[in-house]
Amino acid sequence: MPLPMPPPAPETADGALDTSIEELATSFERAGRAAQLVERSIRIGDAPVRLRFAGEVLAEQLSRAFDHLVDDEPREPELTIHVWDSADSGTPPPPLPSLAPGSPRGTTVYTADDGRHFASRPALGQLSAYERGSSRAWFWCSNANELPFWEPAAPFRQILHWWLPDRGSLLIHAAAVGQSAGGVLLVGAGGSGKSTCALSCLTSDLLYAGDDYVAVELHPEPRVLSLFCSGKLEPDHSALLPHLPSPSFAGDGALEEKSVFYVDDRFPERMCRGFPLRAIVAPRVHGSEPQVSRRGPAQVLAALAPSTLLQLVPARQDALSAMAGLLADIPAFGLDVGGPTDLIPPTITRLLGELAA
Amino acid sequence: MTYRVNSPQVISETVGGETIIVNLARGHYFSLQGTAVEVWQGLERGEAAETIVLELEQRYEAADGEIDAAVKKLLEDFLAAELVVAEGNGTVTVAPASSQDVGERVPFVPPSFTTFTDMQDIILLDPVHEVDTRGWPHASADASTGA
Repeated sequence: MPLPMPPPAPETADGALDTSIEELATSFERAGRAAQLVERSIRIGDAPVRLRFAGEVLAEQLSRAFDHLVDDEPREPELTIHVWDSADSGTPPPPLPSLAPGSPRGTTVYTADDGRHFASRPALGQLSAYERGSSRAWFWCSNANELPFWEPAAPFRQILHWWLPDRGSLLIHAAAVGQSAGGVLLVGAGGSGKSTCALSCLTSDLLYAGDDYVAVELHPEPRVLSLFCSGKLEPDHSALLPHLPSPSFAGDGALEEKSVFYVDDRFPERMCRGFPLRAIVAPRVHGSEPQVSRRGPAQVLAALAPSTLLQLVPARQDALSAMAGLLADIPAFGLDVGGPTDLIPPTITRLLGELAA
Repeated sequence: MTYRVNSPQVISETVGGETIIVNLARGHYFSLQGTAVEVWQGLERGEAAETIVLELEQRYEAADGEIDAAVKKLLEDFLAAELVVAEGNGTVTVAPASSQDVGERVPFVPPSFTTFTDMQDIILLDPVHEVDTRGWPHASADASTGA
C-alpha cells in the first residue's frame, strides 16, 4: 500500500505550479535539441525509471552511480527524470529564488502544491522538481562540470525522496549489506561507522547495496532497494580498509572528487539490487572487537530518523511514522566496531544466520 | 495553562515505550522516557498542564507537589527547546476517578528528557526555507525568501 504523500508546503495559489512545470518541460526540450539527447533505462526494485539527459557530459556524470541498475528490457517508466544544464545546452536558467546575504551555500528553498514539489539550492545552481500526476521529474544545474563530488555519487536524491513514497518506499540515510535471503540496514550519523562497516564487507561474501543512501520498500515485506553503486572514502579508510582505492584529500581535509569510487568497478560481484530487510543495526566505533547487542527500537530510531529527515525536504511526520513502523516489525541491534574491520563481515553474517534460524 | 506541540517543525513518534522527538528547524532531537512520555502524549491530546498533572497524580504516588513541580520543569524544558508553544489558559477536564481504571498507584519516577545536538550542523550548513509558491518559482527571480 503506498504511503500517503507528505502534506503540501504552505498555502499556494491554485495551479501556481502548473506554469512552472510546463516551463521546465519546455526548457528541457529546448536543451535536448541543442545538446545530444542521451537516455538510460534503469530499474529501482521493480520500478522502471528513465533518465533523459541533454548532453553527454551530464549523462556521464549523473548516470554512473546507477550502472548496476541498468534495465536490459526497458518497460514503460514509472518515473522519467529530465536532466539538463545551461552551460552545455545554452538554455537560460529557470527562475531561482534569491537568498539573503550571508545564507549558507547549502541553503535549500522548497515549495510545493498538491503532488508537485520544487527545491532549489540557488547558491549551487541547482533545481529539482517533481510532478506526481505525470510521473515526471526535472533536475537542472548551471554547469555539469562544476557539480560537487557528492552529486554524481548519489544523484537525484531529492527527486527520489519525493517519488519513492508514491510507490510505498522510503529514501533512507543508511548503508546496507546482506545476502540474497536477507540483509541489514546500517544506520547512524556521519562518523558512526556505518560506511566503514559496509565497505569492509566488500572482501567478504556479503552483498553491498549502498553505503550512504538506500531505499526501503515497506510492503509486502520490508526490502532494501539499492540506489547507488558508489562508495565514499573517508580519511581513515586507507588504514582501516586497505582493499579500497587510496582516497585523495585536499589540504584542508575536505573530500575531493577522488574520494568517491564505484563499487561495481572493483567488486562487481558484490553489487546487488537489494534484499529482504532482516535487521536494523546502529554501529558505533567502540570496543576492541565487533560486538552485537540488542537495542530498543527507539534507540535505533534516534540513529536512523534525524540523520535522514534533516537532509531532505520536506521532512514530515509521515516519514518518521513509517520509520517507526519499520522498527516495530524489524529487530534492532547495536554493533560495536572499534576493532579489526575484517571481523565485521563475519559478525554480520553470524547475526543474519541467527535471525534466519 | 495549555501548550500545543510546535508542529510541523516538531515531529515525534513513540516506540517501545520511548518517544523520539525531532525539531526539524533546529536540528535537535530528543528522547523521552517514563513519565515524560505520558506528559508528551497528554500534550498531543491537547490536554492542559493541570489535567496532565491530575492524571499522573491518579496513577503515581508522590509527595505533595512533586508531580506538579516535575511537570512544570519538563514543560519549561519543552518550551526552551521550542517543542511546544504556550497557548494560554485551558479548561481542566479530567474524567471522574470512578470512571477510570487507574489501578493501584505506583511510586512516581521523575520524567526523563535527553537532548541530542550532534546533528545540528546539518541544519546550520544546509538550512531549508519553505516558501509560498506565490513567491517562487514562477515569480520574479529576485523574490526574497526571507532567509
